[in-house]
Amino acid sequence: MIQFALSLLVGFALLLILYFFARGGKVSAEGSAKQLREARQTLDSLQFGLLPSDLVHRIFAREDLEYIRRAAPPQVQSLFLSERKDISLAWVRRVRGAILSLLRFHRGHARLYAQLNLSTELLLALNFARLLMVCRLLEIALYLRGPYAAPGMVRTVAATAGKVCTISEKSLVFLKVNQIDPLKNNPSHHGASV
Amino acid sequence: MTIFTQFVWLGGLLLEGIILVRAIYGKFLAKYSLFYLYIGSVFLGSIFLYVINIVMPLKKIPLYWSVNFITLSLGCGVIFEISRHVFGHRVTLDRVARWSMAIAFGSIFLLVAIHAFLLPRWNPITNSADLERDLRIAQAIVLMTILFLTGYYAIEIGKNIRGMILGLGVYVGASILSLTVRLLIGPRFSTTWQIIQSSAYLAALSIWAIALWSYEPEPPSKRPSDSDRRHDDGYKTLAGQTQEVLDSINEQLEGTTAR
Repeated sequence: MIQFALSLLVGFALLLILYFFARGGKVSAEGSAKQLREARQTLDSLQFGLLPSDLVHRIFAREDLEYIRRAAPPQVQSLFLSERKDISLAWVRRVRGAILSLLRFHRGHARLYAQLNLSTELLLALNFARLLMVCRLLEIALYLRGPYAAPGMVRTVAATAGKVCTISEKSLVFLKVNQIDPLKNNPSHHGASV
Repeated sequence: MTIFTQFVWLGGLLLEGIILVRAIYGKFLAKYSLFYLYIGSVFLGSIFLYVINIVMPLKKIPLYWSVNFITLSLGCGVIFEISRHVFGHRVTLDRVARWSMAIAFGSIFLLVAIHAFLLPRWNPITNSADLERDLRIAQAIVLMTILFLTGYYAIEIGKNIRGMILGLGVYVGASILSLTVRLLIGPRFSTTWQIIQSSAYLAALSIWAIALWSYEPEPPSKRPSDSDRRHDDGYKTLAGQTQEVLDSINEQLEGTTAR
């Protein structure tokens, strides 16, 4: 019976994949200037827009909650909590989106190389999957418990922001557009431009 | 022979003929040699079985499975053809596809050998539906591997190969489902199975006829060159730095969720 179930699963999976393959859109030009610009913009927004500790501290600031509790009626408190929750959720979603962009950028560039390192690619794919899952878990935690439910979480999120910014600054030099000549469309001018 | 079977048989022959004539006329038979070898073998096999069906109807069934296994084996060449054209200069991806082919088909043939060795009364001809389903599953696994890799790395595929994948995929998928249900339900399902299998094959031939009406080379999308040493260094840098960023973000976010 398991054998039959597996056979049916393979058959349905193939037809489903074919459906997505058939309706798939046109692939963007490999290493195009637009693609590189978008990748740089995404990483800039991750570094300077989404992850700066000031912003994260502001979103999760406990002082704001304390002030509202002291000075505002319950309806305003409830509105404040609901809005802060929405903001924190939007923040995690955007961080996740930026990670997805990094994933797309890596894949878009890796395909330009004839010799890929299979184990490295597998490891990267697993790490991307794990990271995206962690973001999703964070999103669920914020959704269920709210931005003020766990003070430890708020502190760590703030710390995360700062550290990731520093690391991004150092590690993403390879995405500097002015070091890449996309018009030549030469692979060695894309990923290798460090 | 029912009207439907006649229609499928003759329709199939017509479409196979059209596909072959278009390739000869357009002078691109050699570009997809393995694919046309498969179509040619199916074309000749179908004519042979059609004649047998008229002259010696009793011999049709055993001969059907023999011809089917020959064409099924040649059908594996179509997957090889697809992989060769899709990955082209992408040595590693091509190697992954070939390894998945070797493992999938190797396991099936090993299974057949084990069955034949351990069960003396087991005969591939009498268990032909089982064997065909297993081989189709192997084809499906390889095809899914190729589709996953092209999707993951967003590799552009030309019209001809796209059609080849779609046609083969539709036929293989429908065959797996109908053969499994047939093995599950038994002879009661045989008529329906024949209709599904024949219709899927006709659909595949129609897709191939449209996609391979004229030759369209694979997109010259900045193919990688393996001669340039700098590419390897560039890839190592790209992968290394991506990994570094990932490790750091991962470490921090995991700490966040753990609290």
